[in-house]
Amino acid sequence: MTKKIKSENKKTRHSKKPSAVSYHLKCAKTANGLTHFVMYGDVPKKKMPL
Amino acid sequence: MNNNRVISFSDIDADWKLALDADNVFWGVVPKKVDGAFMMPDDLITLYQKEREHLDKELHDFRFNAELNCIYIDPTDKCNANCPYCYIPSRIRKKGTQMTGQELDAVLTKIAAHFKTSSKKPVIVFHAAEPLLVKGILFNAIDRFHKELLFGIQTNALLLEKEDVEFMKKRRMGVGISLDAPEADINNISRATTRGNGNFEKAVQAIDWFDGYEGLNVISTVTKFNVHRLSDHVRFLHKKKVPCVLLNPVRVTRIPALKLKPDQKVFAENLMDAVDTAMDLSIKSGRQIVVGNFSNVILAIISPSARRMMCDISPCGGGRTFLTITAGGEMVPCGEFIGSKEFSGGNIFDTTISKAMNSKPFKEIRSRTVEKIEECNTCDFRHICGSPCPAEMYARGNMYKKAEFCDFYKEIIRHAFKLIAEDKVKYLLRKDSLAYMQYEYQYK
Ligand SMILES: C[S@@+](CC[C@H](N)C(=O)[O-])C[C@H]1O[C@@H](n2cnc3c(N)ncnc32)[C@H](O)[C@@H]1O
Ligand code: SF4
Ligand code: SF4
Repeated sequence: MTKKIKSENKKTRHSKKPSAVSYHLKCAKTANGLTHFVMYGDVPKKKMPL
Repeated sequence: MNNNRVISFSDIDADWKLALDADNVFWGVVPKKVDGAFMMPDDLITLYQKEREHLDKELHDFRFNAELNCIYIDPTDKCNANCPYCYIPSRIRKKGTQMTGQELDAVLTKIAAHFKTSSKKPVIVFHAAEPLLVKGILFNAIDRFHKELLFGIQTNALLLEKEDVEFMKKRRMGVGISLDAPEADINNISRATTRGNGNFEKAVQAIDWFDGYEGLNVISTVTKFNVHRLSDHVRFLHKKKVPCVLLNPVRVTRIPALKLKPDQKVFAENLMDAVDTAMDLSIKSGRQIVVGNFSNVILAIISPSARRMMCDISPCGGGRTFLTITAGGEMVPCGEFIGSKEFSGGNIFDTTISKAMNSKPFKEIRSRTVEKIEECNTCDFRHICGSPCPAEMYARGNMYKKAEFCDFYKEIIRHAFKLIAEDKVKYLLRKDSLAYMQYEYQYK
């Protein structure tokens, strides 16, 4: 079961300090061009986290 | 799989405790009480037990089964600059081997054939020494191959003209411009041209021409000269609409660079300030700037296989997810090995990419894992830091030594956990990208 993060953020914003924070995200698309120190060849069209 | 694995606990700061399985980067941050005590919730342990196997598999796949998908091409060994830290030995830059248009065509044809059956287009990055010295042949080649290949370019901008910028934007190229500081006098110490000044004026003009283009990165190499200027640099670049800046530690692959190494603690403090500045500006202005190498650390924690810079993982991406083809056609695992002939996996003009990938030197780099490095093998952060870089440590006498910037990494990784605990991730990754990411699990 996966959910979009945006809706989750709305929920957590109103909650008190949590008893712990832990999560793991999966990117729908992995990056083109896993590069070294300098990036890149793949121009993000609103899809890449970096 | 090691069944005796445990979650280790360490301090993030006065407010937070970190629980971590270093082998698969399962993490939890737990708030401390006033007396510093903390409670590890039972259901967090249950979550760990549930997710452990799949996290093991994800990290293992990313470390050992990710495919080659980026080729750096050095179309010329010549450079019109003379940066004191440059990892390309000056004898190579002076000799100045250069590819002809025909040779570049042959190289790209071979690359396109190699990736013909891949589901993703590979990325070709024109990288060193200064690619714009041969821009005519590059742009022709890009026009010919842009349907099959994605292109990027890294440049000091000295030869960049306005129409080049238009061309790069039209072809959706990824562009890296090197600029080390927000003022000419500091920048031009480390980014010196052969004529005795620096690239400040040209790089800034180029950034203005790009005018907020999404594919632009500014690459800054951090030395003892600019280490105190990182926040101001971010401010300057934000004003100029740059969406992403990398504040990379200088690699001390060559002796002259060693003299420029910044103090690690000072660097860590200044980098964290720069990240805070970037967040602040992004929130207040609504226009985002990210510190790319820090964002990569965030990803290494919250979504390890979504990171894109492959120095901070072991084995690193060299000879694995990318390789470099030098101007003479030698295939090396990474451009940082350009000075070491023994790392050639063969010449593209008389062998294949597959053979190079299976060559002894490439395998050697792929087998450099943190598990084999003393101190890293027991370090909690081993799969977030990755102990870069094999080329740098080889040049320093032993590839199996821990990272030159170990203390720096420890500091910034702890800071990354702190910002994650404080729910700041949304400001640290590119805007909107989170909408494309999905929770695999979330502790509630
Ligand atoms: C080698 S240059 C090649 C492309 C182009 N001439 C330029 O300067 O952007 C690529 C990038 O590597 C960086 N670089 C060079 N030597 C380095 C070193 N020893 N450590 C870290 N980065 C380095 C440069 O600052 C530049 O941003
Ligand atoms: S401009 Fe780039 S290639 Fe040239 S000396 Fe400087 S870092 Fe090296
Ligand atoms: S270099 Fe330092 S921080 Fe990185 S894995 Fe090794 S010991 Fe840990």
